Amino acid sequence: MRILVVEDEQKTADYLCKGLSESGYRVEVARDGYDAQHLIEEGEFDLIILDVMLPGLDGWQLLRLIRRRSQVPVLFLTARDAVEYRVKGLELGADDYLVKPFSFVELLARVRTLLRRGPPRETEHFRVADLEMDVLRRRVTRQGERIALTNKEFALLELFLDREGEVLSRTYIASRVWQMNFDSDTNVVEVAVRRLRAKVDDPYPHKLIHTERGMGYVLEDRA
Amino acid sequence: MPVLNSLATRLSLLFALVSVLLLGSIGAYLYHSLHREIAWRDDQMLRGRLERMEALLDDGESVAALRERPQLYANMLGNRDSLLWILDPRGKVLIEVNPGNLAVPTLPASREVRLDDVAGAVPARLAWQTLEQDGRPLTLVAGKLLDERRQMLSAYRLRLWLALATGALLAFLLGWGVSRRGLGPLRRLAEQANRIDVRHLDRRLNDAGETEEIGALSLGLNRMLDRLEEGFFQLARYSADMAHEMRTPLTNLLGQTQHTLRRERSAEEYRQVLESNIEEYERLSRMIDSMLLLARTENPSKEIPREAVDLGLLVEQLCEYFEGMAEEDGRELIHHASGSVVASCELLRRALANLLANALRHGRSGTPIRITTATTAERVELRVQNQGDVIAPDDLSRVFERFYRCDPARTGSVDSGGLGLAIVRSIAQWHGGEVGVESDAERGTTFTLSLPRVSRDAAAPPPPARGSA
Repeated sequence: MRILVVEDEQKTADYLCKGLSESGYRVEVARDGYDAQHLIEEGEFDLIILDVMLPGLDGWQLLRLIRRRSQVPVLFLTARDAVEYRVKGLELGADDYLVKPFSFVELLARVRTLLRRGPPRETEHFRVADLEMDVLRRRVTRQGERIALTNKEFALLELFLDREGEVLSRTYIASRVWQMNFDSDTNVVEVAVRRLRAKVDDPYPHKLIHTERGMGYVLEDRA
Repeated sequence: MPVLNSLATRLSLLFALVSVLLLGSIGAYLYHSLHREIAWRDDQMLRGRLERMEALLDDGESVAALRERPQLYANMLGNRDSLLWILDPRGKVLIEVNPGNLAVPTLPASREVRLDDVAGAVPARLAWQTLEQDGRPLTLVAGKLLDERRQMLSAYRLRLWLALATGALLAFLLGWGVSRRGLGPLRRLAEQANRIDVRHLDRRLNDAGETEEIGALSLGLNRMLDRLEEGFFQLARYSADMAHEMRTPLTNLLGQTQHTLRRERSAEEYRQVLESNIEEYERLSRMIDSMLLLARTENPSKEIPREAVDLGLLVEQLCEYFEGMAEEDGRELIHHASGSVVASCELLRRALANLLANALRHGRSGTPIRITTATTAERVELRVQNQGDVIAPDDLSRVFERFYRCDPARTGSVDSGGLGLAIVRSIAQWHGGEVGVESDAERGTTFTLSLPRVSRDAAAPPPPARGSA
């Protein structure tokens, strides 16, 4: 998977490049609008991450340029959290946006979502180690034993299973499970994860939900 | 033109303009009346002359006799601008008195007296009449050269123009003087206003002894200064508080990182420092987020979309969100909200989340939190009530201020950073609503968020209210 990062701020570009490379993507970096234009015209990318404020051609002009050529997913970055910015970006054909400062985990989650776009995967059955979930019958079992979950606990576990192996930030979890689209300063998500663990992990020796301190939570089989 | 920026100059120019218009109209009227009057008199005189000549001819004096003594007749006319012809039917001149040496006019025959102007090098006014004299028609022509009249009128015109110019100049000068004098209070007001600067925001304009208009202006300006002074101090305090709040996480970051770098450490230790740093970064990020939200909601020109929000549904969502946290603390969220309001759903959710978080943070463990609504025709009131320590009356009026904490010692990374309730107030005000708080030992602490049911600029009325959930 090739990703083009268009970002003029050196440090941001460097860490985005490093981070995305370590996550298994091939990354090219453009430092200004003209570089970006050249790369877009020359190469094929699976995703473009675009900073709006750029020297040379700005992000909006690049976005028009990209949309004239292809339907490659575009994630734009902005330091301005104004509604008109978001609306403008989405109207010009961007697929998603992030407001600076954003966490890298958040960015990675968006990148993954955009790259597996297409008809949403409606998985009916999940299985990780000895944990199983039957989505349609709303049944969760571990080692064959039935675990009773509340609606929100079920939704949280389903999110973890759907994103197995991916670190999910607290903000992302809050927005997906409770539609709370802002960074709450309460420990609601911690509490919810703790309660889910009490039912799904605590009674069993093999733990599946792990805390990545400072980043979020991940469900994976670390056998 | 910089000169025109002076109010006194503008006023005096306007005075002058008005005078020119007024004097000009009067002058033009007088000039035309005079012109008409002179023309009428001349015409009357010419008619009279024709009558006298006719009488003379009827009197038996033959034309031939007159012809022999034209000088006599010229003398009889007595001046240098009178004309006289007597013409026979073939246009032959029988008698001519012509000091201007005009060409003999060819005139249509007419029984009645007719009058007309003759243009040309020597303009004149002519009156003529055709008469039967001894069986043959004779044309009598009397005339007057217009030179004299023109000279007189042009002299009159010149005098009028001079009067007009003098009048305008006088009006300008007088107007300037009057305006300068009349605008004196305004100048004094400006001098007073000049003495007010950032370091002397407490100074006010003194309007004693000034006119009513200036008094009203001073009063308005003084009120504006009150508000500005208040806003200025709030802003200054806000900046100071903000800097102070940012210092804490930055101190942690700086100190911790420097301490770690003083010697070689294990990978695990580095990891712990980085993880701890992330917490501080998140705290800073949340603060910036909150401050931007405040800036956004305090700027009413920025339009945020509004929709009909079902309060029952919204509160239910929020209760689900906070449920786990409440249960951990042995507390129950009792939800009796219903009705709907036209608002920004995103902002309203945030305001309510902040109120609930506040209630969970400050309420006593094991006591319930009640969320209720009260709807009147105009307003919807959302109340969040919890049991806990009573807020002192002094604090009560200040809890919605930015960075205000009832207990100054209470700061931690889980804290809202002191902006949570300020955001609630800002969101309420953005909607045209208000916030309130009551606290006593018996009923606990109640925060009220009161919103107009239909926003001032919302076009569509809200849908019928949903029953209590």
